Amino acid sequence: MRSYWKLLGAAALLTSLSSCDMTVSTGGSSPAASGDGTGTVPVAAYPERVFWGDTHLHTDNSIDAFGFGTRLGPEEALRFARGERVTATTGIPAQLDRPLDFLVIADHSDGMGATRRLYDAPRMLIRDETLRRWHDMMHEGPRGSQRAVAELITAAANGKLPAALRDPQRQAEATEEIWQKHLRTIDRFNEPGKFTALAGFEYTLMPDGNNLHRVVVFRDGSAKTGKVRPFPGLGGEVDELWDYMDAYEKKTGGHVLAIPHNSNLSNGLMFELTMPGGGPMTAEYARRRAKHEPVVEATQIKGDSEAHKFLSPNDEFASFGVAGWEVGNLPLTRRTTPDMLGGNYVREALKRGLTIEARTGANPYRFGLVGGTDSHTGLATADENNFFGKHTGNEPSPTRAASPQNLGTDQGRFGYHYLAGGYAGVWAKANTRAEIFDALRRREVYATTGPRMTVRMFGGFDFTSQDFAGQGWVKAGYTRGVPMGGELADSGKAPVFMIEALKDPVGANLDRVQVVKGWVDASGAAREKVFDVAWSDPETRRMTGGRLPLVGNTVDRARASYTNTIGARQLRTLWRDPEYAAGQSAFYYARVIEIPTPRWVLFDALRYRIKLPPEAMKDAVAQERAYSSPIWLIPQKRPATT
Amino acid sequence: MADPAEAPRDDVTTDHSRSSSAKRASALRSLLREPLVHFLFFGLAIFAVLAWRVPPDDPASRTIHLTREDQARLSVNFAEVMGRPPTAAELDALVARWVREEVLYREALRLGLDEGDAVIRKRLAQKMDVIAASAADAQTPDDATLARWLRAHPDRFAQDMKLTFDQLYFTGRSRAVVGRTLIDGGADWKKVGDPVSLPVHFEEASHTTVSSEMGEEFTRALERLRPGKEWQGPVESALGWHLVRLTAREPGVVPPLSAIRARVEDDWRAETARQREDVAYKTLRDAYKVRIDK
Repeated sequence: MRSYWKLLGAAALLTSLSSCDMTVSTGGSSPAASGDGTGTVPVAAYPERVFWGDTHLHTDNSIDAFGFGTRLGPEEALRFARGERVTATTGIPAQLDRPLDFLVIADHSDGMGATRRLYDAPRMLIRDETLRRWHDMMHEGPRGSQRAVAELITAAANGKLPAALRDPQRQAEATEEIWQKHLRTIDRFNEPGKFTALAGFEYTLMPDGNNLHRVVVFRDGSAKTGKVRPFPGLGGEVDELWDYMDAYEKKTGGHVLAIPHNSNLSNGLMFELTMPGGGPMTAEYARRRAKHEPVVEATQIKGDSEAHKFLSPNDEFASFGVAGWEVGNLPLTRRTTPDMLGGNYVREALKRGLTIEARTGANPYRFGLVGGTDSHTGLATADENNFFGKHTGNEPSPTRAASPQNLGTDQGRFGYHYLAGGYAGVWAKANTRAEIFDALRRREVYATTGPRMTVRMFGGFDFTSQDFAGQGWVKAGYTRGVPMGGELADSGKAPVFMIEALKDPVGANLDRVQVVKGWVDASGAAREKVFDVAWSDPETRRMTGGRLPLVGNTVDRARASYTNTIGARQLRTLWRDPEYAAGQSAFYYARVIEIPTPRWVLFDALRYRIKLPPEAMKDAVAQERAYSSPIWLIPQKRPATT
Repeated sequence: MADPAEAPRDDVTTDHSRSSSAKRASALRSLLREPLVHFLFFGLAIFAVLAWRVPPDDPASRTIHLTREDQARLSVNFAEVMGRPPTAAELDALVARWVREEVLYREALRLGLDEGDAVIRKRLAQKMDVIAASAADAQTPDDATLARWLRAHPDRFAQDMKLTFDQLYFTGRSRAVVGRTLIDGGADWKKVGDPVSLPVHFEEASHTTVSSEMGEEFTRALERLRPGKEWQGPVESALGWHLVRLTAREPGVVPPLSAIRARVEDDWRAETARQREDVAYKTLRDAYKVRIDK
């Protein structure tokens, strides 16, 4: 019997060795599925509906996700996103209430598949002591595995990864194999008109643990994306990523863009006023950045990066979802000081962009906004009542809300600080790779913290209430103005905006619509102001002292429920900037706020009959929101440079 | 590193032995209830795999024989990755690497390094699953098989209902009633209704799409309306009130196999592989007595 098993072992291992060298054909993918979708489905004259998706999902190909225990791969992730029921790693059935229209799987390019290889490696062959310890911890069980990955992230942040994990040759071979297989998988799931699967990866630049991560998204199918490999990001500078992107476009004729995320964990580095490493930012650098990074992820599970009270003291809705995250960088190896906040938050970056443009003629931060999950479970969930956690260590369980988490618990980050969010709303002309990508490129997109409210915004100079009240307002918006993400050349008149928000059809009513304006004043200083422009029950909710009364609160904490007895289903307004000054450089974006609803922790408390710690209860109700991409007003003398 | 879930393509030639085994198994069901027979049967099947897969050398022997066929296989694997056949020098390197691995591998077995190693234990167990499942992976099912599969699981392939309609939106019920009166009185419907960010026309929209945009209650209401040319309603949605002109409603049907062959095959493959794993395990498991101390 012994030799029988040895023989069997021989067969098994040989099989595994030989299949290392094999490409596995999947078959069944049509040219429509493997291309960018151009010409496969009708394309509308202008965007008629919003497509929902997640631009930032990790699967078990990500070094940390696998280490955290996730065993769901791209195929399960895609099935889940298109609405099918799958079983989460922890054995719980998982399904979205409503399918998504598109998905970008963005596994870390660094160490792609490395934790799986470490896990699978024979112990005696692991000579590096750290790796052997991580190998043992991973085999200990989920807890050990999570500790191992926390150490791994910190080591990566400090540039102290064991040499074997950094061996470029071995890593390149492994990445190549995973990437090619992945590209075939997404081609197979890409169904133009129904569900779009975009190729992407995460570039994980993280000097000293300061998060400069980008999700890189391709427009093309495997015929082009198969010619390159995901670009590693540990070490180096971000302009190397841009070089890589340029080289891809040149080599293949394809298109690619990058989406920075978690600026909130960058300790001021994501949106610097200077060049990386210091010195005044050059116009060339600013132009390059804007060209490669047209969109920023403003909200996700690891916190919201829209605005912080320290920077926006007059904004009563600022500092949404910053608790826990505002204290330090990603692995919390360094604390955040107030002087760093300006480079951490999106609104401030938009303002900085104007001042840099005033000085150099180029705006590095003329970007649109999306939300993403950054989920590491393979499950793109952003609904509060269906939250599957940041990683497999906090998939639904009675303990997850109050549990310490892997990133800096000793300094105050806990499970309940995770947000169940966000998604990207995309105004595309059809649901294809090309159209979704092009909408991102032209910034006709918006971020939500999870709910799928419809937000539409047009800027122009001569919109009238008649335009706005008629059925042709969308057409007028496109033909006589620009949609969100667009640029208006100053015409000496105050800009007018047509804004509409519809509630999520299965979600909460809306409290209000605001316009956030940022501009450079006569002295050259960047300023901001938040205007309430439309709200529910205007007959009874009157502005007093420049403040709108709160909408109220119907949340029943014990039942994790709310009622739509307050708020509005639809809010619309034609709004003209009352403080316009000729020649002003400015941006305007819409912020749509829902009525208060229970956060995921309350659903957990109800489901598992647990008592939450007081700190979690304090933050258990939230007003979810959407952020539109801005519309820029650009002074004539200084033409748009991007 | 190979993903254990991937089917090794080289196992193709094992199909015959195992699928014909399966047929005989069903014919001789009574005899095959014997666990011992089961065990021998699977042992044989696995042995057949090994006899083909492994060069006929005994791992215990110190003779390594790499046949021309083995070398051809290395070449083919190389060509599949690189898109061209290897040069003579590259083939030499492939052979040298293979021999090196083989030597080290046999020595490792001789030293018993495969024992007491949790990873190898797990890996081999996974490989057993793969062997059991691989017939399904490598096999190309014929149309009859897939047609049967489709008939057996219509719910998995039934398309959503398709709704083709126009809708006019109103912020309140009374406004919608006025709108209806206007249209019934001959007004141009294009000038009726409140502005909203919703498409007026929905072409063959699925139940899911309509529900995602307007809420479930609206879709259910549409299912109750009679298709025709006239405006109906008001109908309430999650967003407000609507007049609807439902021009077509196609029930959810199961498309013909030819239209969804790839999807059916995927489904058949995944499920068949799982079933084979279960059956194989059960057969082997039945031959064991397991005692678990409490």
